[in-house]
This record gives sequence, structure tokens and C-alpha cells, in this order.
Amino acid sequence: MSAVLARRLLALPVVLFLASVLIFLLPRMAGVDTARAILRSRLGEAEPDPAVLAAIRLEFGLDASLTTQYWRWLSHVVVGDLGNSFTTRTSVAGLLFPALGVSLVLTAAALVLAALAGIPAGVWSARRPGGRLDRAVTATSVLGVATPEFVLGTVLVLVFAVALPVLPATGWGSVAQAVLPVLTLAAFPAALAAQLTRAETVDALARPHVMVARSKGIEERAVLWRHGGRLALTSVTSLSGLFFGGLLGGAVVVEVVFAVPGLGGLLYDSVVGQDLPVVQSGLLAVVAVAALASIAAEGLQLALDPVGRSTAT
Amino acid sequence: MPAALPTRRRRVGVVLTCAAFALVTACGGGGAGSGTVVPDAQLTIAMQFAPGAGYGIDTDDALVVSQLGVSESLVASGADGVARPSLATEWARTDPRTWRFVLRPNVTFQDGTPLNPAAVVKALTWVAGVSAPPRAIKGIGLTAVADGADAVKVSTTAPDPILPLRLSSSNAAILAPSAYASNPPKVQDTGTGPMRITAVNGTQSATLARFDGYWGGRPQLAGVTANYVSDPAARALSLRAGDVDIAQELPESSALEFTGSNGFVNQTVASPRTDSLLLSQSAPPFRDIRVRQAITKAIDRTALGEQALAGSAVPASELFGPAVAWGSQERPPAPDVEGAKALLAQAGYGPQNPLRVSLGTYANRAELPTLATAVQGMLRAVGVEATIQVADYDAKEPDLLAGRYQMYLLSRSYLLDVPDAGATLTSDYSCQGSYNINRYCSQAFDALIAPLGTTTDPAARQEIFQRAAAQLNTDAVGVPLVHTQANGVGSKVTGYTVDPLAKTLVTAGLAKTE
Repeated sequence: MSAVLARRLLALPVVLFLASVLIFLLPRMAGVDTARAILRSRLGEAEPDPAVLAAIRLEFGLDASLTTQYWRWLSHVVVGDLGNSFTTRTSVAGLLFPALGVSLVLTAAALVLAALAGIPAGVWSARRPGGRLDRAVTATSVLGVATPEFVLGTVLVLVFAVALPVLPATGWGSVAQAVLPVLTLAAFPAALAAQLTRAETVDALARPHVMVARSKGIEERAVLWRHGGRLALTSVTSLSGLFFGGLLGGAVVVEVVFAVPGLGGLLYDSVVGQDLPVVQSGLLAVVAVAALASIAAEGLQLALDPVGRSTAT
Repeated sequence: MPAALPTRRRRVGVVLTCAAFALVTACGGGGAGSGTVVPDAQLTIAMQFAPGAGYGIDTDDALVVSQLGVSESLVASGADGVARPSLATEWARTDPRTWRFVLRPNVTFQDGTPLNPAAVVKALTWVAGVSAPPRAIKGIGLTAVADGADAVKVSTTAPDPILPLRLSSSNAAILAPSAYASNPPKVQDTGTGPMRITAVNGTQSATLARFDGYWGGRPQLAGVTANYVSDPAARALSLRAGDVDIAQELPESSALEFTGSNGFVNQTVASPRTDSLLLSQSAPPFRDIRVRQAITKAIDRTALGEQALAGSAVPASELFGPAVAWGSQERPPAPDVEGAKALLAQAGYGPQNPLRVSLGTYANRAELPTLATAVQGMLRAVGVEATIQVADYDAKEPDLLAGRYQMYLLSRSYLLDVPDAGATLTSDYSCQGSYNINRYCSQAFDALIAPLGTTTDPAARQEIFQRAAAQLNTDAVGVPLVHTQANGVGSKVTGYTVDPLAKTLVTAGLAKTE
């Protein structure tokens, strides 16, 4: 297992390098004049004066060739210098890391909550397929998958911040402020985890070795968790690795609904405003964290699944 | 040109607004205040715009700094277009290119240093020298020098009759000299306003405390927390939940729920912004004035404002609306379908040869696609087939400026930081205008606005603005459709007014009530 993980970690720099090339080129292939976008982000109704645009290009080195711009950026990034934002003219690190921290907390809390809610629900509903609990879990998980975040978030605010004013409607910085955004973000992965766990557990419980275990008189709860739940856990763990990267930079709607200053919003605004240093470093950070999360999930999966561990190469 | 709103806010906001407000409006709540001022209270505000450029005083963030009551300029002004004393108590023209401003005595910056000519010169010199100069002072060659112990002389390369109004811009705010040690200048503890910023939490919030040394008297509030909440639905929910005392720019359907009878201060004011249908005169069919007049007659602007936009905008009868002293208060003329058809027939279009045009717009402002669809239907009624194309404005702008379009629906402020329409009339409608998307060129119009280069008297200038707007209507230079509105709701507050120019919010007189 350690050899597998070591290989993944060794490949990480190559992944990041390839990602850096794509991340550098993609915003520049959008057909938007960066200098014009910078001007617009500073002064909304500014006319595109050629002299001003030229001054902006000079100020940010946009008049250099793409190769020069890329090398300049990469050589600074590898020594930890992310440069300054085009729009705020302040340190990219000062913008990026607080937002990344918020998103890491939000995403991790949502996924932990999703696992704590979804996996037991899936396992218990698999105990008696078609039973009341199973039907209730299935209906709830379908609702969780189908309900858009902006609807769920708004309903939660109306219930817990307006009708029962026990939680704040917006903001970030306290545990109380985190409750509603985490609940909203956790709904979809929890629902998916419940469905996946149920399906895997039902499948596992029908296997011959489980029947043998039952015939030996092993307690039903132990059978359920040891043979069904554990197998399901490997699938959910793998899924969580994928979710982590997606939610890290993609929770824009939740961030908007609850005014959470996360990475998704920062990246969205930066892409729209062509704030290339923030876009580039932000996406690179997302790729790096997502890749690490994927490796961690794979390690966990191998630890949980002896069969997979022995066949992994 | 679209406003400076970050696009994400608008796009997600539209979705949230549509989804949320049936729910929001179903809820009761809101507390009535007795009107008794709570001394030294703390106030929380849900602000519409987060600072997107690091509180840069040379950017649109200057409006945020100004709204928070942190910064002030030499001159104050309102939508009436009249300059009033602020950090300067009086001013006079000393020669055609120079104005002398006498500074208010006994003003100190929030860092304890005095307001003096050297500080003013440093502030104005810095903002005049940035790579992307603010609209109010761009291209005028502004220079400032000290003149004695209590005055500064501000010069321009050409005579500028509205220099005092230009210096009322939030971008021309005077910060303490220590602010300019960094770029963008530091706004924390460097302003002269009633509030000073004590902490900034990224683009999430800012906390402010009363500046006890404020020259305008002791502010009533002890402190303010400004939460930047980009989504209008979230702002409304925050107000409803009691998280905030004031919320800017609520969706129309929600704003109606906050009434004076349950303790809210609810205000809606016209903004100096017009959504217009631009018609390219570079080429047929809109080179022909009869076609432009037909389009004007075909559109029911009252229906656009009152039905398509559900009353959230004022139907426009001309370029300037009720937000400004010289704007039209009249309702637009009723549509004339038969008259439009007759004009189209004179121009060679009819059932056998229908006019087919493209109608472009962008989605950054939520109302524009709605307006485009409604206009399309109205044009169809007179036999004009318009194909709607919604695309990113930035990508389209080069084509617009080059006249490579037919019809385009655009939202445009006509004040551009200074309560004077001279800049807009020149850039958007003169033959040499740098933003003349209509490609309109009339020697008569240019002659009409030429005196703006020398006319100082506000009343005389406003008369020219009115005549210019009438001329644009006569020449059917595009169709002004609606004027947008600004709103704001306060809960248990006094001294709160919505500024159509978006410069003021937190003032020394703003207070919380019981």
C-alpha cells in the first residue's frame, strides 16, 4: 500500500506542472482583453481608453510574450511568491489563503457530516430493503439529491434564522454561522452516500460468505457493519475524495446564500475580472489539495479494503 | 456599459431572488421603533457591494469608503448638480484654468494629523497620477499646489467650468499623507469622516468606530459593522432575521414587505441610470431616421417599466430621468403601432419586405434580458423581426464601439461620478465622442453642447442638458426605455436616507432607535 501511495505522491509534481500550463493558458484563451477587464474591475463604466489600457498592460507585464509571462509566474510560485492581485493590488496569498481556509473548513465539515449521516442511514436501510426505514431513507436521499442548494439554504434560513431565530442568516467566523452553510453543503453528499451505502450493503449482504457468517450465529448488527458497512465505506471514501476537490472551489452558491468568504466566490470573481494571478494560484491550490485528498482517500480505501490492497499496483 | 457589479452576484442573485422571495414574503416580523434615539449604539449594515479593489480610493471602492462615512472630498454635491462646501469652505476661479479652494479650519485626519494644503496636494496629485485615472478627473491634466496656509490652487490643462463638481467625486477624497505610503492607499484611520475603519475582514466585513474628532460634530453611533452581502435575497433575509439594521438594494417584491407601519424606514429613489435601446447609425436600416422613429413609436415604455419589470423601474421619456434636477418627470408617449408601420412603409419595409434585425444585450444586469424579450414582442407587432443575442458585454464592446451591431440594449449611468451630464453627452453623443455607440453625429447637437466647455452656472448647464435630451429625442438617437431605481430599508433607525448617487450612507446623524 505504501508503495502505491509513494508513487502517487511522486507523480504529484508532474500533475501540478501540467495543471499549471493549462491553468495559465485557459483564462487567456477566453478571448477577453485582460487589461480591459482590469480597468472594468476598477472603474465600472470606464471607457476603454487605449492609453490607459497600454499603461495597465505595462504595469502588470501583460505586454510580454506568453512564455515570458508563464515563466515569470511559475518561477515565483515555486519559491512561494504568488504575486499581487491585478484588481486589489494586494498580495494574492493574503486573498487566497484565508478563502482557502474557509473552504477547507466548510468542505471538510460538510463531508464529515455527510458521512456521519449518510453511511449509517444507508447501512440501516439496507437491513430490510423495502421496509419503512429503507423507504424513508430513499425518499429523503432522493430529496437531498434533487433539492438545489439555493432552495435548501433559503429554507433553512427561513426556518432557523427567521421563524426560529436561533442561528444567524449570513456571515462566517463563528460556529453558529457555520451551521446552516455546512448543513446545506452536506445535503447532497449525504444523500448520495446514503444511496451508495445502501446499494453496496444490500449487495454485500447477499454474498455467500455473509450467509456463512450468519449461519455461524454472528450477531446481525456485526454482520451488517463488518461485511456490509465496511465494504460500502470504501466506495464512499473514494467518492469523498472526488467530492472534496469539487466542493473546495465549487461551493459558490452556498457561499453566496450565506455570504461566506470562500474560495469558490473568490475564484469566480477573479475569473470574471480576469484577475489572473488569483485565478492561476487559486486553481493550482485547488488542484493540489484535490490531488492530495484523492491520494488520502485512496490510502484510506486501501486500508479499509484488504482485497483492493492486495491487488493495487 | 454595464455597471461595476461583479457578475456572480447578479447571476446567482437572479436565481436566488426568483426562488426565495415567495418564501420571504410569507414571513411576518419586523419591529416597530419608538423613535427614541439609542445613544452610542452599534449598527450593522448589509452592504450591496463588497470592496473589489482593495478599498482603492482611485477605483469604484471609493464609493464604499465614502458610504461608510470614512472619507470626504473638498466639495460635496447632490443630484441637483450644485457644489457645496465640505473640506473646502469656499472656492473661486482665479484664472480660466485655475480654481482656488479655501480649506476648512480645524479639521484633523483620523490619524491625528491636520488637514492642510500639503495634505490636499499630496492626495490630489496621487489620484491624478494613477495608471487608470478615475472618470471624474481623467484627461483634464489636474495639478494641485499649496496657496498660503489655508488654500490650494487646482489647475487643469484646459478651462474647466465644473472642476468643483469633479472634486466632489469619491475618488477625489482627501486622505492623510500617511495613507499614500502604500498602493492602493490605506483607508484605515486616514479619512476625515465621522467613522474610522478599525478592522477589515477581507471582502466579508469591516468594523468602524466613531471618530470623536470629526469636524462636523460628534457622531451619534458608537460603531458600525458593515457586512458585504452580495446577494439581494440574502440581504433581505438578514434584515428579516434581525442580523442587520439596514439592508441596501432589496428585490422589489421583498422591499414592499418592509413598511413604515412595522418600524422600517423603506425608501426607493430614482437612480441616474437609463436602460436604452441603442440603434447603430453606421449602416442601414437605422441610418434612416424614419426607421429609428418607427422603433421609438413601436415600444410601449410604460408597459416595460410597470409590467415587464413589475414597477421596479421608471418608464423613460428621455435620456435624463427623475433622479436629477434637470431630468424629465413626464411619462413617455403612448405607443403608436399604426404610426410605426406607416414610417416603416415609407422606409421600404412591410409585409412583403419585413425588417429583420439583431437585438443584442448582456445578462450582467438582471432586467436587460427581460426588457429584450418584451421589446422583441413589441417590435413584432409592427412587423419587425428581432433576433435576441445575449452575450458577454466585454467581448462585444469592440464591435459596439466600431458600430458592428444593429440594436443593443445597454444600461448606462449618465452621471459618471460627477453630478453633471456634460461628460456623458460629450462621450456618448458628440461626433468625436469616445463612447458614441449609436454612431450619432450631428453638427447641430455638437453646437448645442459646445457651451458646456465654458458655462459655470449650474442652471445654465442644466438648461443645456434639457435641450440636448430633447434634441436626442427629436433625432431618435436610440430609445431610452426605463430609469432604474435604488432602494434601501432600515429597521429602527433614524437619519437614514438612500442616496441616488450612492455616495452617502453612514453619516454623523445616523442613529439607532428603540
